[in-house]
Amino acid sequence: MSEKQVIIDVGDGAAIPRPEDKGLLSAWWLSFLGTLAVLAYLLIFHPDPYLRLLKFLPDGIIVTFQVTIASICLALLLGLLAGLGRISRNRIVNLVASTYVEIIRGIPLLVQLFYIYFALGRIVRVPDMVAAIIALGFCYGAYMGEVFRAGIMSIDHGQTEASLSLGFNRSQTMRYVILPQAWRTILPPVGNEFIALLKDTSLVSIIAVSDILRRGREFASESFLYFETYTLIAIIYLLITLVLSKILSNVEQRLSHYERR
Amino acid sequence: MNVVDPIIQIEHVNTFFGSFQALTDVSLTVQPGEKVVVIGPSGSGKSTLLRTINRLEKISSGSIVVDGHALDDPSQDINKIREEVGMVFQSFNLFRHMTVLKNLTLAPVKLKKQQKSQAEKHAMELLAKVGVADKASSYPVQLSGGQQQRVAIARALAMNPAIMLFDEPTSALDPEMIGEVLDVMVTLAREGMTMVVVTHEMGFAREVADKVVFMDGGRILEIAPPGTFFDYPVHERTRTFLKQIL
Ligand SMILES: Nc1ncnc2c1ncn2[C@@H]1O[C@H](COP(=O)(O)OP(=O)(O)OP(=O)(O)O)[C@@H](O)[C@H]1O
Ligand SMILES: [Mg+2]
Repeated sequence: MSEKQVIIDVGDGAAIPRPEDKGLLSAWWLSFLGTLAVLAYLLIFHPDPYLRLLKFLPDGIIVTFQVTIASICLALLLGLLAGLGRISRNRIVNLVASTYVEIIRGIPLLVQLFYIYFALGRIVRVPDMVAAIIALGFCYGAYMGEVFRAGIMSIDHGQTEASLSLGFNRSQTMRYVILPQAWRTILPPVGNEFIALLKDTSLVSIIAVSDILRRGREFASESFLYFETYTLIAIIYLLITLVLSKILSNVEQRLSHYERR
Repeated sequence: MNVVDPIIQIEHVNTFFGSFQALTDVSLTVQPGEKVVVIGPSGSGKSTLLRTINRLEKISSGSIVVDGHALDDPSQDINKIREEVGMVFQSFNLFRHMTVLKNLTLAPVKLKKQQKSQAEKHAMELLAKVGVADKASSYPVQLSGGQQQRVAIARALAMNPAIMLFDEPTSALDPEMIGEVLDVMVTLAREGMTMVVVTHEMGFAREVADKVVFMDGGRILEIAPPGTFFDYPVHERTRTFLKQIL
């Protein structure tokens, strides 16, 4: 019964501009318009190097999104398994899932990235991008597992009992009754993790994946325009996360509307 | 003497939660079509007893046979047995993400492999029977407590159970809604359903019960037909309890 009060708060994504938080909402508009203004100013008044730089980066932006989306898919799958494992009554399954979560959460992402990249390299030669996706997916899967677990546990136990009493077994209950209700609780923190993951993909630039940051570094090391390059890269990341957090806030709005019905 | 076998046979059941004994040497038989009302003070084990009948609670020793199936027999599929035993909860527990109609058709379609159209037809009949046919496409949050509980009863009936268990079905309801739920239960009783009902509604017990079971401290202290039970209770404990609630 004490498990009823569940707060899902995995706050390393971005500040979500929820309508009830007036301060944050204004801050969102200020940041968004301000960033756009700075970008416009730079492109119009200093087309060299900014326009040149901007043309150099799209490949990197695509790679960043590819890595993010592939990693989040892997993380969702692992997260669902880890979450179900963590609430499983089977001791072994539970232990495996908990150990996975425990270990992954205890190691910095960058170290994991190196480790999986080089350890994997010893066994099989995989493309850099695949190694990056595996590392990010495993890491975020552990966090996602906690989100799934909390989401599942936030559903009133009476729902499970009603389902069991009708003759559904435990996995049918999970599939037809619990998960369809839990996803509404799970979606906001998953969106948050998505944004956090997008930012963390910048780490993969270290292992030779040509994401935004690595493309920028290539540009900078040829042109020696470090300040200009990182200014633009920061602006691009900021714009992406601002837009994503706004989308997320709108989706949440829709969901809560649905809930009130 | 009985020509028919009991549909529920509970013998010398003990149930523990950790080291706490919730049921002590409980025995009870229910004949097909019989209506049993279970009463007793809070914490006396009424819910636990009811929940052992469809094994939502496991027993520590003793035996329970439901419609010929021994619950502790590992070769028996508990999910199949549960299909035969409908349960109605104090807190309704309707599936909140589904319409009323879907609440009723989910189990028949998924478990009994009924055609969707056939399941929906049956569901609509049941909803009409409990008086909420007009709410078929609503979601549970849009219904009053009384309506939700009537839907919950219909949902259990949709599986054509042989037995219906009720755990304080009217305790969470506003007083003006209790009657509409009890009416449905009385109708069901008249139709010959086997029912085990935990309730504080003594009027219902008097009117409907074939026998009343009084529990205290995890034991069954007294089993008697309602006339005898209410007018000539044997145990001192029963008398005190009845005085408190009547
Ligand atoms: N899951 C559990 N874990 C530990 N103790 C439990 C559990 N379920 C019930 N109990 C205890 O067992 C005893 C009997 O509980 P039960 O719910 O069967 O009582 P009840 O007669 O239904 O009471 P009420 O009228 O309040 O519903 C109580 O003391 C209760 O605290
Ligand atoms: Mg109870």
